[in-house]
Amino acid sequence: MAEAVADRLRRAEHEFGTGDLNGLDVARLGEGEPEWLARRRLHAWKVYETTPMPTERMEEWRYTDLAQRLSIDQLDVPSIVTLRDDPDTWPQSLKRAMGDDPETSGHLVLLGGSVVYTDIQPSLASQGVVLTSLRKAVEEHPELLKEHLATQAVPPEEGKLQALNAALWTDGIFLYVPRGVRLENPVRVTRWVSRADAAYFTRTLIIAEDTSQVSYVDEVLSEDLDSHALTSTSVEVIARDSAQVQYVAVQQLGRGVFYQSAQRTLADRDSTLDTLNVSLGATTTRVDLNARLLGPGASSNMLGLYFGDGDQHFDHNTSQDHLAPATHSDLLYKGALDGTSRSVFRGIIRVAEKAQQTDAYQTNRNLLLSGDARADSLPKLEIEADDVKCSHGASVGELDEEAIFYLMSRGLSRNQAERLVVLGFLGEVLQRLPLGGVGEKVTRAIEGKLRTGAHA
Amino acid sequence: MSDDAILTIEALKADVAAEELGILKALDLQVCKGEVHAIMGPNGSGKSTLAKVLMGHPGYRPTSGRALFDGSDLLAMEPHDRARAGMFLAFQYPVEVPGVSIANFLRTSMQSRLKEGDDLDLFDFQDLLLDRMKLLEMEPSFAERSVNDGFSGGEKKRNEILQMAVLKPKLVLMDETDSGLDIDALKVVASGVNTLRQEDPDMAIVLITHYQRILDYITPDVVHVMVDGRIVRSGGPEVALWLEEEGYASWREAEEQAAAI
Repeated sequence: MAEAVADRLRRAEHEFGTGDLNGLDVARLGEGEPEWLARRRLHAWKVYETTPMPTERMEEWRYTDLAQRLSIDQLDVPSIVTLRDDPDTWPQSLKRAMGDDPETSGHLVLLGGSVVYTDIQPSLASQGVVLTSLRKAVEEHPELLKEHLATQAVPPEEGKLQALNAALWTDGIFLYVPRGVRLENPVRVTRWVSRADAAYFTRTLIIAEDTSQVSYVDEVLSEDLDSHALTSTSVEVIARDSAQVQYVAVQQLGRGVFYQSAQRTLADRDSTLDTLNVSLGATTTRVDLNARLLGPGASSNMLGLYFGDGDQHFDHNTSQDHLAPATHSDLLYKGALDGTSRSVFRGIIRVAEKAQQTDAYQTNRNLLLSGDARADSLPKLEIEADDVKCSHGASVGELDEEAIFYLMSRGLSRNQAERLVVLGFLGEVLQRLPLGGVGEKVTRAIEGKLRTGAHA
Repeated sequence: MSDDAILTIEALKADVAAEELGILKALDLQVCKGEVHAIMGPNGSGKSTLAKVLMGHPGYRPTSGRALFDGSDLLAMEPHDRARAGMFLAFQYPVEVPGVSIANFLRTSMQSRLKEGDDLDLFDFQDLLLDRMKLLEMEPSFAERSVNDGFSGGEKKRNEILQMAVLKPKLVLMDETDSGLDIDALKVVASGVNTLRQEDPDMAIVLITHYQRILDYITPDVVHVMVDGRIVRSGGPEVALWLEEEGYASWREAEEQAAAI
């Protein structure tokens, strides 16, 4: 795919001289896009081409052999599809996932790489809240997008895959919450991926203005695919002064899928910007999360949960960047690994010299359920300020046999006992971010996995 | 063997699984329905090993002899089958299970005892749990705490008795439940146990203890003295009182003399 698009882009550049994306090639990526965006795509493509493919020789990719796990040039970017707003035609599992959702402020559905459905409570829309597809936002909110799309948060210069995403994104989510508006219920996004041999590039841009409040829950699902596919997403979350934002991503893709998510959160003065990444599905998961605490008093709780079986591979790469005084971050990532599954957690806390009176914590705990599973945990601190409270901890452990015996002595079978211990272990993460229906949904998904796995 | 026997142990020998230390040395014991037996003995005499072997702890290995529970071959059963058959071990050191609430744990325990396809009535369960907590003077919020996680010693022991009160076993092995309890907590625990005995007069108790103190509140029918993996003397409550005065030293001496011969 990449080569084919590259050819087209090169041809476009050659034919039109200026690098304007025009004619058939442009239509392929998005009909009638404004020039600024076309230029941005082309720039991103150049960055992609000049950035070397990550290899295991790079520290950040040491445990994930990208070339072996992802054959980018064998994938194809499916055409942008505009489907009817007709839920009858949607896949059952997608409807089930949506049906489980409690009260929402708005809902957005993506099929493949395109938004097919959006709704938002009229009372919120009238207060200026925007929940729409990124393609529409390009037309309707060009100033905001020009300023924020792939600029401060996840620009193409972040890396090879980030550049590819910035060049080839087909659609995505734009959520804007004006100053002082507080959303009582979460905004929910449900994504469905159905095609193998395809690469889906989407982006999310969330802007929460001063003193606003919003929770956002993004769920991505698919069936198991018989060959491989890429789901790539770049997520940009901006919390202005004293805003409160919760970003939740729940990944339940089927086997065969490579899930790649590059996320950056920008927290201004006295804002709270919390994240939760739940990784349950896909064959390969790579999440890069960078939390930037930009304003004094900003705070980020960063939660993560993963549960692998079979030959699943999870790579979570996090950084906590304290760039202003009196900022706070607290990271807790927990994972359980069964079968021959494997996880890598790499986390760094960076405290800039001026970020005095900062608290930064980082904990990664892993539970191995099988002798063939493996977890690597690589915590790191880089502290330039002297008046800070920082700690990091990492552990890889096995099931506590005394706990299993204790539970069995009350009548639970070994499998029931293991399930309770695993759910209890992972549940700590969900308890820290109580958000309508998310905990229950994730718990059910974990239970489902425990049932189908060797620990049934 | 009595028809009323709930537990019959004959010439039971056991090792720590990895070693051949012979911790239990041909132990015999018979407990009948409704009886309270106290097993007393010094540290290292094998009292707690007996409790763990009877419950099926994987760290211990019975090497010979047999144990019948309610007519079934206990040693052939998995720990959870022993529990479902009506055995209960109140642990000396209850284990912490982070993230699992007591209510969820007990609900799963109750559910696991039902036939495949039968569902526990959650309202009945809730009523039972609240009633049992009241009996043991516990706050209802206690059931929402993670099992033993961050509990004080006394809370852990009370949690054991709560589980016993909910699960209503036929035979209870209490492994040094009294250790770590202050006198007030001990009275609450003992009164809970006595109430359960009144509710089910057939419930039998094997009370493993180092001290006579708990026997002031839960009166034993039979007291056994265990030294070096064997029961060396059995009798009425007077044995416990006698031990209290003489201490275990005299038994050790007797043992050593016997060994020297």
